Amino acid sequence: MTLRVAWLLARAGTGSRAAAVLPIVAFAVVTALLLAVAGGAQAFWSWRDQTAGVYQVLSAIALALLVVPLLALGGSAARLSARRRDDRLSTLRLLGATPATVARLTVLESTALALAGAVVGVIGYFALVPAVALIPFRAEALGIPALVLAPWAIATAVAGVAAVAAVSALIGLRQVVISPLGVRTRQNAPRLRWVRVVVGAGVIALALALTNIVQIDVGITVIAIVLGCLFGGTLAVLNLVGPFVLRLLAGRQARRARTAAQLLGARSVLESPKAAWRQVSGVAMTSFMAVFAGTGVAVLNAISGSEGATASDRALVTDIGTGLTITLVISFLMVACSAGVNQAADVFDRGDLYVNLGYLGMPRRIMDAARERTVMWPLVVVAVGSAAIAAIVVLPLAGYSLIVAPLSLLTIALSIAAGIGLVWVAMRLTRPVLTARLAAAA
Amino acid sequence: MASILSARDIRKTYGSTVALDGVSLEIEAGESLALMGPSGSGKTTLLHLLAGILTPDSGEVSWNEHGAWQRVDQMKEARRSQLRRESFGFVFQQGLLIPELTALENVALALMIDGVSRPQSEQRARQKLAALGLEGLEDRRIGQLSGGQAQRVAIARAQVADAEIVFADEPTGALDSHTSEEVMTALLGATTGQGRSLVLVTHDETVAARCSRLLRMRDGRIVQQTRSIPEHPGITYTEARS
Repeated sequence: MTLRVAWLLARAGTGSRAAAVLPIVAFAVVTALLLAVAGGAQAFWSWRDQTAGVYQVLSAIALALLVVPLLALGGSAARLSARRRDDRLSTLRLLGATPATVARLTVLESTALALAGAVVGVIGYFALVPAVALIPFRAEALGIPALVLAPWAIATAVAGVAAVAAVSALIGLRQVVISPLGVRTRQNAPRLRWVRVVVGAGVIALALALTNIVQIDVGITVIAIVLGCLFGGTLAVLNLVGPFVLRLLAGRQARRARTAAQLLGARSVLESPKAAWRQVSGVAMTSFMAVFAGTGVAVLNAISGSEGATASDRALVTDIGTGLTITLVISFLMVACSAGVNQAADVFDRGDLYVNLGYLGMPRRIMDAARERTVMWPLVVVAVGSAAIAAIVVLPLAGYSLIVAPLSLLTIALSIAAGIGLVWVAMRLTRPVLTARLAAAA
Repeated sequence: MASILSARDIRKTYGSTVALDGVSLEIEAGESLALMGPSGSGKTTLLHLLAGILTPDSGEVSWNEHGAWQRVDQMKEARRSQLRRESFGFVFQQGLLIPELTALENVALALMIDGVSRPQSEQRARQKLAALGLEGLEDRRIGQLSGGQAQRVAIARAQVADAEIVFADEPTGALDSHTSEEVMTALLGATTGQGRSLVLVTHDETVAARCSRLLRMRDGRIVQQTRSIPEHPGITYTEARS
């Protein structure tokens, strides 16, 4: 029965079809980037020489860094497809469908859209491969054969994307109450407790204990696993503390807001600090690593220029820099996609409100400015904040590299600025969605 | 009484559907006008045309701005938005307030959009909320208010800029009869009670009966007009219109 109803809903009018395109595009981007990154990692893990281990560990770190923005983008797309159906789902409840049926329908549809997107993403991945193959590591291009994944790996990635969609759809449903009388969202602003900070401190202590294990003479695989866990732990801490920090800052900004756009932007972040954090959290770790590792690379670069360094040393330092830039670009690309999808979903969700704000005489530029602030402000806080913290942690090295290799640090700063610019462009691209919604009501 | 808004022979079609078919009317300062009629009769379209939200296919909508008549239908969207911010107020069926803002912020926002400073906006918003019996609820979010309280916040928002005329689309449509009566009292008090005008769309005869004039619409035309006679409360004068 669920399948039949899902098919009926899927056959809805053209407006509905247009709306389904957004999550499909997002899932396609997720899959294409995931496969491209996995292909790159595969290339490193096929090496067997002396320095291969270093590349393998670094690729594991890069993958760990990209997991969060990947999940965030997948989650955004899934929530969009789930929330888009709110009105129809409440009608189904009115007709007697049980909450379990509604949940099954939502998961089914989100998963179907994710699968469709993932298939498009696989095509996108094959389109990307020739370009990625040109990226030089160890002074020569990676090459297409090294990047092409086995069919089972591609199938696993597609299945993984679908699974993320299914889980995210269920989580998304928890945030709304779908009753026969309509869809209600939570009315009270969520409270974030200090306990997050305490748990965060505990995870850091655990991470430090893990670091000690690495000091024991163990194989490269164990080091990679431990480092992966270490990153996972740090990301978990960031996810615990990040929303709390955003809530504190947004609360302060809401109190001090002088313009309508500032007030609306700050209140939107305050409404769901977790959602605001989720969109930009991937950038936190990437920015931190970009400065942290980038400073190291800059110093190494300076040292490798000296007479004692081998050609292999110099190649490694150059390659770490290349890897950092790629990780940073992909991370920001995913955040940009995620922000774009979320904002488009917001216009669909709150279409009536925007239309009526237009009736009240609110200019569209204020609506756009308010929407953009909900993403750009947390993004700048997180990117600059994380980069600043990293710079403080490695202050002596940062100071040294600023003198001996200012160009390397400038490249990192420009990469972060370009990433922020990329997200800003993605936000601008959602303006026509609002324009179309307002025009449809006129 | 002086006319402040005028519509002459306005027509509006959506594809092949005629929503308004040559409607003319004058709205006077300080009057309350109810628009009634079955669904699809054109009452909301008429409200939107009068408020400058839509423009007619033909005919004129004019606004009397301090004695100088201005063609609303010929204004650019930016100018019509400005007119809606400065001179018109709106109350919708569900209030359509911004859920993440407090009651005070929702009302103050209407002024902040127009460039008024936040402290000044909030001061005026506080006064309007207090006048509507919402003192002490300023910092509550919309979801923490009852339906009637939320509609009173919407009324405060509509009148915070001292709008000359308030347009209300089914302002009591989602309320029970008791709350509906309270909201109408608040709405009339904040508009005609202050010498301002009110134009409202309603399906509720009780609500319409509290207005000084009632226009009944059918198939995009005004078919009947009923005026109450101020000297004789309860007695009305009805005329058919074609």
